[in-house]
Amino acid sequence: MDTLRLLASQGAEAGWLSESFSYAFMINALVAALLVGPLLGGLGTLVIAKRLAFFSEAVGHAALTGIAIGVLLGEPPENPIIGLFCFCMIFALLLHFVRNRTAVPYDTLVGVFLAVALAGGAALLMYVARKINIHMLENVLFGSILTITDFDLLVLGLSCLLIIVGLMFTFNRILLASISPDIAKVRGYNTHFYDYLFVMMITLVTIAAVKIVGAVLVGALLLIPGATARLMTKSMGSFVLLSSFLATLSCIIGTLLPMELKWSIPSGASIILVSASFFLIATVTRIVGRK
Amino acid sequence: MGPAIVLDDVSLRYENNIILEKVSATLDAGQCHVVMGPNGGGKTSLLRSILGLTPFKGDIQFQWQQSKGKIGYVPQKATFEPSLPLTVLDFILLNQSRSPLFFNFNKKHKVKALQQLARLGMEDRAMFRMGQLSGGEQQRVLFAQALLDDPDLLILDEPTNGMDEQGVRYFEALINDLVKEGKTILIVHHDISAVRRLQATVHVVNGMLLESGQAEEVLKPSKIERLFNHYRHHSSQQKSEIS
Repeated sequence: MDTLRLLASQGAEAGWLSESFSYAFMINALVAALLVGPLLGGLGTLVIAKRLAFFSEAVGHAALTGIAIGVLLGEPPENPIIGLFCFCMIFALLLHFVRNRTAVPYDTLVGVFLAVALAGGAALLMYVARKINIHMLENVLFGSILTITDFDLLVLGLSCLLIIVGLMFTFNRILLASISPDIAKVRGYNTHFYDYLFVMMITLVTIAAVKIVGAVLVGALLLIPGATARLMTKSMGSFVLLSSFLATLSCIIGTLLPMELKWSIPSGASIILVSASFFLIATVTRIVGRK
Repeated sequence: MGPAIVLDDVSLRYENNIILEKVSATLDAGQCHVVMGPNGGGKTSLLRSILGLTPFKGDIQFQWQQSKGKIGYVPQKATFEPSLPLTVLDFILLNQSRSPLFFNFNKKHKVKALQQLARLGMEDRAMFRMGQLSGGEQQRVLFAQALLDDPDLLILDEPTNGMDEQGVRYFEALINDLVKEGKTILIVHHDISAVRRLQATVHVVNGMLLESGQAEEVLKPSKIERLFNHYRHHSSQQKSEIS
């Protein structure tokens, strides 16, 4: 990373790159964007196929409570990763466990879990506010490229590697288990295992992306590039690839644009707005194309 | 060669509702068996029990001729969202290979998938979205999926639902070929004249096994009314038991 930052700094000094590239945090943010973008875009297609959009939003919101718990248990306020990881994982697995054992419609169940997580988070934040600068929470909610450290990049890189390797072996089975669970079971696939595996992947990528996109908006980046790609593609392979490309592009442009234009907006908001503009263009193109 | 299937006292309930009661039968190996009966009689539940998709009481044994073989399954229907860009070819590849759809550059896989679609006359629909196909076309694709691994046992739940005449002809010719190859085939079917053409062993189910035998014997006009009207007697009997 040091070499990369040095090269970027020299490039900026020589005038090949813009001034933004001379900042170390900017390089960290761009590397994070390049790591998390393809993953969010790729997983997003499965979120859409499995109709789990509301679920991924709920996991993002649960991150707030996880962070509050982490800080309360004595983790550093700027990086309460154990509290965040444990709470989000328990939240997601418990939600899925209850789903498989109740007749309550899934969206209703997610709504209940989401409300409980948010209420718990709001209550705990009252105590957390005494320990930390409350503005730090803005970083958690909406992302902040300034706060990405080398350790965050290491965690992000390992998470990405784990999920990509997992997806290479299980993508088809996860998709089949959601489209036709009976066929998958007759083929000998453990559909419950693939369901839980996918839930764990979503949770992991949500946690990994909180710093750059923010807890509130990470669900949107799982969804919008996929929704855009769905409008523009005719096969599942191109759907996944285009969604990954659009998510990565949104992350890069959304990170660079506020810096270049000197806009004081959170990175998460900027990334989502760029992604949403792609969706808008695709939708308008599609509507105009039909006329 | 396909397996024989031995059902021993198979019973199935959903809460207080009796679906199947003490079904015992032996489905001979290498033959075509058709399960018939009125709606709600437990035909699909029996198939799902055999496949291990639903819990039941009793015992079901597969008597494979050598080692355990492969099973192909065509469900009654599958729901495909029209806007999801899942093509017919994607769906077959999904069932055929572990290589992720976004990273599958293996030409052999695609050739094999297209060959399977051609067997059902669906190769020209390979790039259509699954959700755009008619019900009968989707059934044909589901059938192509079931044939992928050259299964020894094929289980089909109302496979000709919504199929046009051409589709039904493809289907019947294939079933005859597969029986000649020694596969065991189990089909839920409701079309009496189509079942007569298949020359199968027919099992009439309505909460219990009412009759088994060759199609020409079981599906005699004099018997049909009694067997298929049994539903009313059975359900009224159940109601009086519950009350």
